Amino acid sequence: MSALFLEPFQAPFMTRALIELVLLALICGPIGVFVFIRRLSFVADALTHTIFPGVVIGFAAGGLDGIFVGALIAGLVTAALLTLLTRRAELTDDASTAVLLTAMFAIGVVLVSRQSSYTSDLTAFLFGRILTVTPRQLGETAALAVLILGLLAVGGRAFLFRAFDPGGAAAAGLHIGRLDLWLNVIIALVVVAAVRAVGTVLVIALLIVPAAAARLLTDRLGDMVIAGTALTAGAGYLGLVISWSASVGYGIRLTSASAVVLVLVLAYLLLLPAGLRRRRRAVPR
Amino acid sequence: MAAVALRFSGAAVGYRGAAVLRDVDLELPAGQVLALVGPNGAGKSTLIKAALGLAQVVTGTAEVLGSSPVRARGETGYVPQLDVLDPDFPVSAQQVVLMGRYRHISWWRPTGRTDRQLAAEALDRVGLADRARTRFGVLSGGQRQRVLIARALVARPRLLLLDEPLNGVDATSQMTILTVLSDLAAAGTAVVVSTHDLTLARDIADVVCLLNGRQWAAGPPQQTLTAERLREAYGGHTVILPDGRDMLVEL
Repeated sequence: MSALFLEPFQAPFMTRALIELVLLALICGPIGVFVFIRRLSFVADALTHTIFPGVVIGFAAGGLDGIFVGALIAGLVTAALLTLLTRRAELTDDASTAVLLTAMFAIGVVLVSRQSSYTSDLTAFLFGRILTVTPRQLGETAALAVLILGLLAVGGRAFLFRAFDPGGAAAAGLHIGRLDLWLNVIIALVVVAAVRAVGTVLVIALLIVPAAAARLLTDRLGDMVIAGTALTAGAGYLGLVISWSASVGYGIRLTSASAVVLVLVLAYLLLLPAGLRRRRRAVPR
Repeated sequence: MAAVALRFSGAAVGYRGAAVLRDVDLELPAGQVLALVGPNGAGKSTLIKAALGLAQVVTGTAEVLGSSPVRARGETGYVPQLDVLDPDFPVSAQQVVLMGRYRHISWWRPTGRTDRQLAAEALDRVGLADRARTRFGVLSGGQRQRVLIARALVARPRLLLLDEPLNGVDATSQMTILTVLSDLAAAGTAVVVSTHDLTLARDIADVVCLLNGRQWAAGPPQQTLTAERLREAYGGHTVILPDGRDMLVEL
């Protein structure tokens, strides 16, 4: 039995994939909680799509290594654009976000369709290649993790105040626009960190599902962060084991990133009844 | 003569250049309570936001603690209407109160023992010392309102602005809140309260400002809460008279 859970990680590429997912869990756990309490799931989803053209341009210009820089530039630009649009535009938050999402994603598809290896490139960009993560990429993810967690540590208190009571936070002298930009930049950096491993589409699952599942377990923010991180890391491990066993043991092609996401969603569904029971017990008096 | 904590002179306040409240001329000395009275949509919340620098002073001037509203934020406390806050938000009463300490703590320093001690004292002052770890959303409406007041108190403001603090609160909470406000005023803090309740305004306020799209009157309660003034300001609306009776006032 233990062979089932340990054997896959004798292959170096599987160990690197696990380390990458644990690093992503360390950043997606805390950031996902702030995305959840700020109700920014749609904005985060938009960021995963708006980064797409940057990923494609980066790949076209510098191959696989160019993806990181392309995604980084596109992420920072679109984080600023999203903040500006949702604060200044006459459109609603949702509408302006949707306009940017679809426009940027379409540009990305147009750009990728000009590549000769269109289908395989598109699949890699959308769903990632966790099993081809290199030691250098692990180093980049680790560096981004330090940067992201540092930015969160400095802004976390203000994010909490802004999420709970925007009017009160502004009255206390916090600059809401700068805080929104700051959080959007952090989310963009998370997407950049995760995009090569799990792709632009599935990264949203790492940001949203663990926090939503953690909320079912606890009312406390600190505990949500711990639970979300543990869930992501656990799902990463189990997803890799399942995809390995399916491929090696049964000849079923199951991409690792998809398996990780499916385990996360399954965990959420399993926790849902317990969460609903807790909510019923905690009706305000 | 006490220093003026809040002064509007010939002010029109609103958003994006459009005034929603005009002709505001009032002064609130330190240590006094101002009640903002008027029907829904009268501009009470907008006037409070203008004092906080969150709504625009379109014409005229606003002075808070001898400075501009934005510059005075460090010494101004604010208690928002309860219904703008998400009761499902995963935060404890203590965490809410600690938010009032954030502007006193460097961004890189975690909240420390002193901050938690001050938060505990503020919660004790509103009678909720034993509810520090309770999730904010499961407290009763009155208790939540008291937590928000504790959050404002922990910042030790010289001017405290409360937007409908007694809406939907139980009798115990109302009594606690009124005692806290009275103690604050006695200690020199200027207090601004918006309310629909004319009886309450008469009982707690040194100055009443009657609003409905513009300022209809401002001064001591006995001069502002008169039938004539109320008729001018409220035309056609139901109001609660100072003797406790409901009355439909018609122009």
